[in-house]
Amino acid sequence: MSMVIFEQVSKRYDSGKDALSGVSFELKKGEFAFLTGHSGAGKSTLMKLIMLMERPSRGQVHVDGQNLNRLPSYMVPYHRRKVGVVFQNHQLLFDRSVFDNVALPLLIAGYTPDEIGRRVRASLDAVGLLGMERRNPVELSGGEQQRVGIARAIVNKPPLLLADEPTGNLDPELSAEIMSLFARLGQVGVTVLIATHDIDLVKRMGHRRIILDHGQMQGGRRQGAVHG
Amino acid sequence: MAEKPKAQTGASLQQTTLGKQFAGWAAHHQLVAVETLLKLLRNPIASVLTWLVIAISLTLPGALWMALDNAQQLSSRFQESGRITLYLHVNTSVDAGRNLSQELKRLNNVASVEFIDADTALADFREHSGLDSALDFLEGNPLPSLILIEPRLGLTPAATESLLASLKAYPEVDSAQADMAWVERLRAILAFSERLFTVLGFLLALAIVLVVGNTIRLAIAARVDEIRVVKLVGGTNAWVRRPFLYTGLWYGMIGGLLAWLLLILCWLLLRGPVVEMAQLYGSSFSLKPLSAVAALVLLGAAMLLGWLGAWWSVSRHLGEIEP
Repeated sequence: MSMVIFEQVSKRYDSGKDALSGVSFELKKGEFAFLTGHSGAGKSTLMKLIMLMERPSRGQVHVDGQNLNRLPSYMVPYHRRKVGVVFQNHQLLFDRSVFDNVALPLLIAGYTPDEIGRRVRASLDAVGLLGMERRNPVELSGGEQQRVGIARAIVNKPPLLLADEPTGNLDPELSAEIMSLFARLGQVGVTVLIATHDIDLVKRMGHRRIILDHGQMQGGRRQGAVHG
Repeated sequence: MAEKPKAQTGASLQQTTLGKQFAGWAAHHQLVAVETLLKLLRNPIASVLTWLVIAISLTLPGALWMALDNAQQLSSRFQESGRITLYLHVNTSVDAGRNLSQELKRLNNVASVEFIDADTALADFREHSGLDSALDFLEGNPLPSLILIEPRLGLTPAATESLLASLKAYPEVDSAQADMAWVERLRAILAFSERLFTVLGFLLALAIVLVVGNTIRLAIAARVDEIRVVKLVGGTNAWVRRPFLYTGLWYGMIGGLLAWLLLILCWLLLRGPVVEMAQLYGSSFSLKPLSAVAALVLLGAAMLLGWLGAWWSVSRHLGEIEP
């Protein structure tokens, strides 16, 4: 079973820039993969296509059996609830507590307050931030903020987790910590795709790599695990 | 809106039941309603200008409404002034006059008829005019017999006009006079005021929609980041709209309540002078405050307009904010 399928996907922006051309790959359910490539290679565009923040110019994207080209726009929010996403700049809201930040996807999905409390605490526990729920994210360190972002991405138990440069702003030690957190999530059956240019870390972790170069897949349709 | 699509794998998101979903939805409405209201009340400085604009925009048509209500009450008292007086020829006998009254009673647009013969008229005049002794110098009775006609209620001016013409055509009638010019004028003024109320009300309603719309636009601009994140984690447009629509509703409600206070203030200030003025005219007329129904309609309209303003603003600006 596949979680993500790209079939000859191209994306040309209105500016005329070709961000992706003819990209094809498959990500199986429960698979853990890195998306690497130089800056501007199209990693973010690829992520945005999965999130439906952008639509492809050509080709098909399937997520969890759903052809995204055929997904009407009113269904986009429901699609996004199945995809947890973590950003480099974590996109936290500083006008509310850690708890409220993490609770947001549950509030949106219509969970009752009891369930929200339970799940938020479970999620914060998973990232090692239990006890910080009342703090404002602005008081936390960069690594802690990123972990709040991860807690928010996994609180709804999405089958697919995307991370766009999740360790971009962190020092190597914290980066390794965050990555091992993702690895743990991968072990419980979540499909994980992490875009990063931290090649050393990727090599050390030894998972499958999908490499983009100027918007094209490098090395054919199936990338094997690259070992350092 | 459809249930969120089912995910197939075991590790996927756990589904809540439809009932729980509804409970969550209702809980969110409640949460947003309370939160947005508290937000407005906690920080009144930021929105007091909007409240005042709404309140004043509502007070003007509200005051006009109150005035119209009172004027209509006043005009209904003067229904009797719309009566028609027929002056019969001096040589008409009392019997002929009586017969004519009987005949007129059967006319379509006539409500009631009263015959006053010349002698009674003179006696009345003697009594009320104070010219008692002067009248003694007159030879005979110079006054004609009269027939007082009360037209049917709610007769149009044109129908009254044609009734008047048909009455004039009777040979016994010397002249006919409709004592209603000023009642007509009052009605015309009322009709004009009603139209003014409609036009003014429409314009001020538009002003409220625009003012709330602009306030909400600023609120949206201040929360762009939040809206992006909400859309990113699967918030529907309805979910994003909700707090803004409630905010618009509360703006309308607070503005409506303020307008209501202003109208009560107006009433308290005007009540005394109006009663004094009425007494000078020998009337027991007093200024009524806005009725409870009218006050509720005002409040409801204010809330609806606030909501509309928010809706207008949200539908214009939310689409532009995408993650």
